[in-house]
Amino acid sequence: MSFFDNIKMALSSLNAHKMRSILTMLGIIIGVGSVIAIVAIGQGGEAMLKSMFVGSNNTVEIFYSPPEEEMEANSSSMLNSPFTEADIRALESVPNVKQVVASSGEFGSVSYRGKSVDSYISAINQAYIEVNNFKVEQGRNLLASDFLGGRRTAVVSSTFQEELFDGEDPVGKIIYIGVQPIEIVGVLKEETSFFSMGSNDVYIPLNTWRNITGKNEISQITIQVKNADAIEKTGKNATNLLNSIHNTEDSYQVMNMEEMVKGVSQVTRIMTIIIGSIAGVSLLVGGIGVMNIMLVSVTERTREIGVRMSLGATRGQILIQFLVESVTMTFIGGAIGIFLGAGTAAIIAYFAHWPSLVSWPVIIGGMLFSMIIGVIFGILPANKASRLNPVESMRYE
Amino acid sequence: MIQLSSICKSYQMGMEEVEVLKGIDLSIEKGEFTAIMGPSGSGKTTLMNIIGCLDRPTSGEYFLKGMPLSQYNEKDLAHVRNKSIGFVFQQFQLLPRLNALKNVELPMIYAGLRKKEREEKAKEALEKVGLSDRLYHLPSELSGGQKQRVAIARAIVNQPDLILADEPTGALDTKTSIQIMELFSMLHKEGATIVTITHDSEVATYANRTVFVRDGCIVKSKEGEI
Repeated sequence: MSFFDNIKMALSSLNAHKMRSILTMLGIIIGVGSVIAIVAIGQGGEAMLKSMFVGSNNTVEIFYSPPEEEMEANSSSMLNSPFTEADIRALESVPNVKQVVASSGEFGSVSYRGKSVDSYISAINQAYIEVNNFKVEQGRNLLASDFLGGRRTAVVSSTFQEELFDGEDPVGKIIYIGVQPIEIVGVLKEETSFFSMGSNDVYIPLNTWRNITGKNEISQITIQVKNADAIEKTGKNATNLLNSIHNTEDSYQVMNMEEMVKGVSQVTRIMTIIIGSIAGVSLLVGGIGVMNIMLVSVTERTREIGVRMSLGATRGQILIQFLVESVTMTFIGGAIGIFLGAGTAAIIAYFAHWPSLVSWPVIIGGMLFSMIIGVIFGILPANKASRLNPVESMRYE
Repeated sequence: MIQLSSICKSYQMGMEEVEVLKGIDLSIEKGEFTAIMGPSGSGKTTLMNIIGCLDRPTSGEYFLKGMPLSQYNEKDLAHVRNKSIGFVFQQFQLLPRLNALKNVELPMIYAGLRKKEREEKAKEALEKVGLSDRLYHLPSELSGGQKQRVAIARAIVNQPDLILADEPTGALDTKTSIQIMELFSMLHKEGATIVTITHDSEVATYANRTVFVRDGCIVKSKEGEI
């Protein structure tokens, strides 16, 4: 008896009790679907959290935190501005560094025609715009000429526009930072995300900042690397360089991304496993449903089993027949479940703005797993069927 | 063809052991049409189940075409049922969800034949029993006589050495019974070896030999030509 005959037989007997088959499959569909959805959502969330930490653009932040001994030895170390213009140029020459993002800033009052709001004024270099992928909604972005010439231009966040201009077009308007006039040239597009909250931001070129405040400091430096795999090593080289330039030991550091990412991965993975196993329980319940229905089916078809045996079916063939039937049921249920689970994950990923990760291993794993469920929960009924006595079975009413 | 010697069969009924067959000796030649008669409870159905390899004797030897079936395992017996024996039952025992053609194909599925060959042979067998116009009818759409014809077609389709019929007319009216028995006669004339169980002496007249069973023993064997 060929495998194909078995499948056809299974399909026709599932088809004979459509409602029952569908309801039984529903248990498997929900079980597989929820496991797939949770794993996919978990992996998507993990990828998103990782990218939040690493910076999706292969960037690593360098920060200045002198250890205590250093502060004692050189009491002015905290007062000095941590980075200088020369540092940026030095960092640019470190191998694998693509560009150096520098910024400074402080909270300040910004006014327009007598109305003023508290804002964060960021002084940035041109790399900042590229790395943070600034897009303007109105007007234009800051250009190279703004940066090089230290022109009195600014781009602002849309929240700032709401606050100070009540949504009116601010492009071309002159605002005052302290007493210094600055022209708004563009409004940034709001990054839509679950986690971003609007804030009042004004971005001006670093050179402009120096001119109007007289401050020469750079408080934040981030480097973007060419090759992401060597990000750790490049960060190390960069901090070594800065420490030697400033004659310090460990004052310049990079965040140990690898550890952070590992931690995040572990947390999300554990979450996924916990929620996934709860969903797995529903798969178990679905499997018990399959077993239940198969037992009913065996009892109902006692006569059929007896007849088949009298016509020459071996016990093994009867066992296979019922096993194929339960596996067919869980396979179809699993396939539908994967489809629905992946769909759910994709919808959630779409609204949460993170990548939907339904990978082939997950799909193939899901299929195999649902077939294994079919075997595990089908073996008992199939075994019961194969052990029937043909003479008694044919007398069964 | 069939060689039974000192076949005994006993069942455990609660604490008691009930002896159903008490040393049956019987031999049936190729081409014979044998009727086994006896009152209910005489053990004739048990005897037929043993001849049909659906049950095993407690003791005794059974040879079918020289095969020592008492030594065969379950799987081998299933193959013997498939290849060498064709069953016809009182209650027809057709699978209700399969049409006539598919029902007749069943034994060939277990014999491992390809679909095309199965269909051809099944059509041939159904033609032989006069049902070539009912190939795609479900059992529920057939009359009793037609159902039994389908069952006979299913029994002969693998060209068995032996056709075993258990009260083949038990669920049919007189007129249909005659038609069915004539069909058996025809198969017999073509050379089939047939064993039928009946308590109807009318049916037994179609056989050329009648064996009487009473209380688990063969009490009388009568040769007779039709």
